[in-house]
Amino acid sequence: MPVERIKPTDFTRTPATPAAKPDFGSATIPKERYTSAEYMRLEWERMWTKVWLLGCRMDDIPNPGDYHVTSIGKEEIILVRQKDMSVRGFFNVCLHRGNRIMVGEGNATSFKCQYHFWEYGLDGAFENIPDLETFPQGAPPCKGLREVKCDTWNSFVWFSMNPEAEPLLDYLAPLPEHLEPYHFERMVKVADMTVEWDCNWKTSVDAFNESYHVQGIHPELLYFIEDKDVQIDCYGRHNRYLVPFSTISHRVEETTEIPHLIKHAMKEAGMNPADFDGRVTEVRKALQAFKRKHGPAMGLDYSDLNDDQLTDDYHYNIFPNLTLNTHADDLMLFRQRPHPSDPNKMFFDVFIFKLLKKDEPRPKKPRHEQFKHGEKSLGLVLDQDAYNLPGVQAGMNSDSFDGLWIGDQELRIRHFHHVLESYVGS
Amino acid sequence: MDLRLKGLKAAVTGGTRGIGNAIVHVLAEEGCALATCGRAPERIESLRRQMDAAGVRFHGETVQGRDGEAMRNWTRNSVEALGGLDIFVASLSAGGGTDEERYWYRNFEIDLMSAVRGVEEALPALRQSKCPSILILATMAASETFVAPMAYNAIKAALVTWSKQLSQQLAPEGIRVNCLSPGPTMFKGSNWEMIRVARSRIYDNAVRQQPTRRMGTAEEIARSAVFLASPAASWCNGSHLLVDGGFSKRVPF
Repeated sequence: MPVERIKPTDFTRTPATPAAKPDFGSATIPKERYTSAEYMRLEWERMWTKVWLLGCRMDDIPNPGDYHVTSIGKEEIILVRQKDMSVRGFFNVCLHRGNRIMVGEGNATSFKCQYHFWEYGLDGAFENIPDLETFPQGAPPCKGLREVKCDTWNSFVWFSMNPEAEPLLDYLAPLPEHLEPYHFERMVKVADMTVEWDCNWKTSVDAFNESYHVQGIHPELLYFIEDKDVQIDCYGRHNRYLVPFSTISHRVEETTEIPHLIKHAMKEAGMNPADFDGRVTEVRKALQAFKRKHGPAMGLDYSDLNDDQLTDDYHYNIFPNLTLNTHADDLMLFRQRPHPSDPNKMFFDVFIFKLLKKDEPRPKKPRHEQFKHGEKSLGLVLDQDAYNLPGVQAGMNSDSFDGLWIGDQELRIRHFHHVLESYVGS
Repeated sequence: MDLRLKGLKAAVTGGTRGIGNAIVHVLAEEGCALATCGRAPERIESLRRQMDAAGVRFHGETVQGRDGEAMRNWTRNSVEALGGLDIFVASLSAGGGTDEERYWYRNFEIDLMSAVRGVEEALPALRQSKCPSILILATMAASETFVAPMAYNAIKAALVTWSKQLSQQLAPEGIRVNCLSPGPTMFKGSNWEMIRVARSRIYDNAVRQQPTRRMGTAEEIARSAVFLASPAASWCNGSHLLVDGGFSKRVPF
């Protein structure tokens, strides 16, 4: 029985019809892209410093003077809310001797370097240079902190180190149309973690860009998701796949009992699995209908989402480094950041956002936690993903390994490399 | 040993899957005409094709076990289609579930009442039979603490009690009633197959308690079930047979 998806005539704001299948050939993807310091340097020069990158949430810096320091490779950027409520971004580097100025996040009236107390306004301009008269050359002629391009979209703050960067919405196209119906602005952050992983950042991006590994490392998900009949769509820089949830994989036999993860999804929506007399493969559609009918009474507005979005994972990669598991009730956002100098290391950021019911009190903002691989659980599924990655990276460094042997189920990995090549070269 | 099943007519609830399905096949091999019911129309159809191919008279219907009237209708239709009835096997089950009060109602309707309703409708035909028998499928988990306290275990225990007392009532009429409690059973599409993959700790724990470190097969349960239901077991009445490969540790004096 094929997975039943919404029909072209059904309501949807997020485009749901399959995109044309691109042909990226079947060549081996060179492993040096994951292991070579030289490639890492080119990637920095030609890609990281050219693209738009996600900095923080707009509600991380709600008031004038609120700032958030984000980092990418060797750079740190201060994102700061201005008095006029706009957001600007500056390199976190004091122009005097290069010291870092701000750490973490908070509220400030000025940015004051703690070395010699050089002080900058929220707009980055010099506010005070102690003993300025002792500098015969005067103050640096640039007037203040080096600025980066900054913009906001869909509750997130973005920045680009490329002064020539195209407008953010052009860069993200066509995804704004896809993702705005989820109303991320109605969601609140409930988890905020960074894990240091011993692998290249792309090793992590790849791990989420295919569902082929589910039968390998997430066998229990075979009784919660359809891992093979998955719609893959590539758009310009970005791509997605649509993974049916609350159903079972075609790789396993239907059971009489509803598998526990599906029961859990039903209960979360207020649907009692003990009263459901249909078959396991009928739950997904029934759950969609249930959420459509009872969502409003539970204070959950799903009116901009299509039926499949009420159960399924619409899974996006925003080039280069964002993985979005979008669901009607939550967003699991992963940001993969390169290490400043080592291609065999990366930082994996996990942000989880939850849709609040109408009048539901906002939970306290979670404290950001940072730890090394294995020090703390990220939950079963992410732990399973993480477990493999250092091994993948180590194996890629072997002289016996030439490159990635990619199949059709991994088309998003080919597409990602196609886009990467357009920046870095092949 | 001749089970003396040739030419008899049997109705099995929940015969499209697992243990019920294995019972249907063994009864068919022994020469019975068969009727069964289940939730999935394509499984009924596939069974019909198999029975047709084997030259076995067959009546199958799609029935939702919670629907009492549908259960009664299927039983009456089965008697009519087969032209009588000698053996009634109640095998239908809703399976387990915890943490929701509604599972009590679910197991009550599907495990217990489908059996009660089926037996009630089958009795007039069984009274006409020369070797009538009723077999009720319960579970080892009714008499052995297993996985978690839940409606499934307790409602199955009600079936054990009911079948015993029914055997006393019907014995003078020559109708035997027996009960069989399978231990953990593995087959294609079984809940244990899902638990082995999706909740491996529960599976590992169950299989560790099995002295042979494996679960039973549906065929192993079915062969014992068919014996109990057959005229060859003429002196078995009101018995409760545990078929669990030695899982349970108690000594039932």
